[in-house]
Amino acid sequence: MNRILNRNLICGTVLVLALGIASCTKKGGSSGSRELNLTSSAKIKGLDPIQAGDLYAGRQVANAYEPLFQYHYLKRPYELIPALAESMPTFESSSGSAASTVLKVRLKRAVLFQDDECFKASNGKGRELTADDIVYSFMRLADRKENAEGWWIFDGKIKGLNEWRDATPAGKNGDYSAKIEGLKALDRYTVRIELTKPNNQFLYYLAMPFTSIVPKEAVEHYGADFLRNPVGTGPFKLVREESNLNSKLVWVRNPTYRQEMYPTEGEPDDKAKGLLEDAGKQLPLVDKMIVQVIPEDQPRWLNFQSGKLDLTGIPKDNFDSTISADMDLNAEMMKKGIVLHKAPNLDVTYTSFNMEDPIVGKNKWLRKAMSLAYDINPVIKLFYNGRAIPAQSPIPPGVFGYSSQYRNPNVDYNIEKAKEFLAKAGYPGGKGLGTITLLGLSTSQARQQSEYFVNSMSKIGINVVVKAFTWPDFLKNMNDKKGQMWGLAWGADYPDAENFLQLFYGKNKAPGPNNANYVNSDYDRLYKEMLNLQNGEKRLEVIKKMVKIVEDDVPWVFGTHRIGFTLAQPWLRNYKVIEFDHNQEKYLNIDVARRSQGL
Amino acid sequence: MGAYIIRRLLYVIPIVIGVSLLLFLLFNYLGKDPALVMAGKHATPERIAEIRTELGLDRPILVQFGDYLRQVATFDFGRSFSNRQLISDIIWNGMWPSLSLALPAFSMTLMMSITIALMVAYFRGRALDRIIVILCVMGMSIPSLAFILFGQYFLAYKLPEYIGIELFPISGYDMSFPWPYVILPAIIWVSVSLGTDVRFFRTAILDETHQDYVRTARAKGLSEQVVFFKHVLKNSMIPILTYVVIQIPFLIMGTLLLENFFGIPGLGSILIDALNTEDLPVIKAVATISCLFLIAGTLMTDILYSVVDPRVSLK
Repeated sequence: MNRILNRNLICGTVLVLALGIASCTKKGGSSGSRELNLTSSAKIKGLDPIQAGDLYAGRQVANAYEPLFQYHYLKRPYELIPALAESMPTFESSSGSAASTVLKVRLKRAVLFQDDECFKASNGKGRELTADDIVYSFMRLADRKENAEGWWIFDGKIKGLNEWRDATPAGKNGDYSAKIEGLKALDRYTVRIELTKPNNQFLYYLAMPFTSIVPKEAVEHYGADFLRNPVGTGPFKLVREESNLNSKLVWVRNPTYRQEMYPTEGEPDDKAKGLLEDAGKQLPLVDKMIVQVIPEDQPRWLNFQSGKLDLTGIPKDNFDSTISADMDLNAEMMKKGIVLHKAPNLDVTYTSFNMEDPIVGKNKWLRKAMSLAYDINPVIKLFYNGRAIPAQSPIPPGVFGYSSQYRNPNVDYNIEKAKEFLAKAGYPGGKGLGTITLLGLSTSQARQQSEYFVNSMSKIGINVVVKAFTWPDFLKNMNDKKGQMWGLAWGADYPDAENFLQLFYGKNKAPGPNNANYVNSDYDRLYKEMLNLQNGEKRLEVIKKMVKIVEDDVPWVFGTHRIGFTLAQPWLRNYKVIEFDHNQEKYLNIDVARRSQGL
Repeated sequence: MGAYIIRRLLYVIPIVIGVSLLLFLLFNYLGKDPALVMAGKHATPERIAEIRTELGLDRPILVQFGDYLRQVATFDFGRSFSNRQLISDIIWNGMWPSLSLALPAFSMTLMMSITIALMVAYFRGRALDRIIVILCVMGMSIPSLAFILFGQYFLAYKLPEYIGIELFPISGYDMSFPWPYVILPAIIWVSVSLGTDVRFFRTAILDETHQDYVRTARAKGLSEQVVFFKHVLKNSMIPILTYVVIQIPFLIMGTLLLENFFGIPGLGSILIDALNTEDLPVIKAVATISCLFLIAGTLMTDILYSVVDPRVSLK
């Protein structure tokens, strides 16, 4: 054979061998370090708390930053406890008003920001957190120039804040030296917040990643690069030279993290599950955490099966090979010692009607007919592998106001009744109705679910046409009301029924979260009444009335409340499903000896 | 040659301006309103108007176009809407992971496909030729996603169970030493590309073997090897060169599927994220740079023609 061929063959072979040898590693358990290996299924767009608009960014932000409050890791129902705050405050009345709209929050002492070059005055040593930092962080959330994704949670809520925001000239940063009536540092460790009106959910907002506290020095020092250079009071510190938001984040224990201990109490069976073995220990429990960005299901799944990831969900395509018919781990997984965690998500999926549409929005019998023609059980089997329950109302299990006994008559699949109601709507057999437009996403699963909806409606003679979009286009078309129906889901921002019932409040119409553009004055009146009530009999009564109104008007075809299935490696300690898992990593621990044995 | 290159470079200027004008109109006027995209779904009309002013979208169109030409000339496309990072940094940081995969994979594919194509053309009509052509067609018929899924599952995950050594990581990337992480994706790239490339190169080589000069060379008594590797190969380089060189500018884009499945933070996946989040400045910058690289690629092709074929005049 020719010299050229020989040379090419030899070069190619040597190249492949060299690179192959370079990539060889011995198969087996990993090193003996207390290191967490986690994954994110989407890229992290940034680590600035005010832009943490999705759960992927929110989880990573919570490693470096802390808000004033957090959720007790083990107790259920979910309970707010102090994080940076010293204790749980209560609302007080402001002078000249009977309404309880004032919060005085006292901060913990000796909480330090992590060491960073931005603290020039102290030669890079992180300084103590003060009340001024709270004021600064909340003003920054309101600053128009920052275009904060999280602004909506404070919009119209804190006295004087909207006025400060509106007074800023276009294109300029706000004046942070200005005084805001409802946001003041009373002394070094006390913040006074005055609301525009009573709001029982406000404390929940102060547990969201958006309201995490940042130091002014870091924002000014890093400027537009602050997104990639977190400087917080949180349990972990980012190793910047090894991290890339598009592929991998490496966190190490923050050596100056405040004193915070693993909880000493939880639910009655937490002790038996081993969740109290680290009670009283200083957090975080691990030295290092690596978060790999793996958008695709297969590599995430294979990495978990190889022991390279400590935690994963179960991809739809791998469900049957992992879970047995009785919805538990199969024998092969159990033999490896892998642990399955199941818990209901605080969410609801639904297909919403556009209540401003002249056809679907103005014809209740039509909406009832379509709701009765949709059988949710095959959806649960086909698209969720059985990991969901039919939703009867917007409130999911685990949230006050949910009732396992309540049955929504519009959710009970009944083709004959659907045809009857369709005739009552003036469209017997679908005649004269025309085509209904359904907006959906262009992902393969969303298309399949839309197809199922189309087939369901065709059984009663209704012709549905699907328009599929990418997520940004879908949102735009929905907010512009360019369709008659659209499929969505809502996950809880905080564990309160208000977060779900606000989806029907008239003032929250698109572009707000009331995507159905539903308006009912009775409902709105009850909603405002519910806002001012604490959980109890009276509030439950009001919630029941609101749910009944939604049942009568059928602004949605209800879908499901999903159940989360998470797999954990046998060496992962202290994992408990928590809906608001922003700062869960600090509680997790690794059994180093068990890990070194591998799977 | 020097005069030719200078002349071609001068021709490039109106081409770049024309392409820039098209892209400018596409992104600033025919596509979505950038201010609307940046403002987000909760923005008020007043806020949208403010953003239009901040972005300079209320200036005269010629001023905006001039600004865009300045961006093109300086490779300074401003900041991303979604993460505020300098776009030049995004492209610079994304380019290297893409190239760390694309360059070795492309080189290996080229070496192997030319070698195999020469072999099958040399043994044309015989069993070896037929078998390889069948394999090439089979390879072309299998979707690239299938190669990726099977390759990752069997070579990265299953194989270590049998041999006790992990030859390839399942996914991941190390900016400081990426080579172990790109070998399996590169092998998959080669497997996907080999079929198409071998068939193309084989055709280009075989076309040359039917030329008169080949008959003359054989008639003069030259051995088949000399005819093939000295005369035919060189003359078949023009179509091969065109095919190969035109792909080089796009190597920086990497390949989206491979990058996504193997966790390589390259430009391909960055672009898809930008498309999904409507990060218009990033999309515009990548489109601009791709066009510029394509223009540079065609210029390079023209110049290389004269190297392989003296008949091609550079006048």
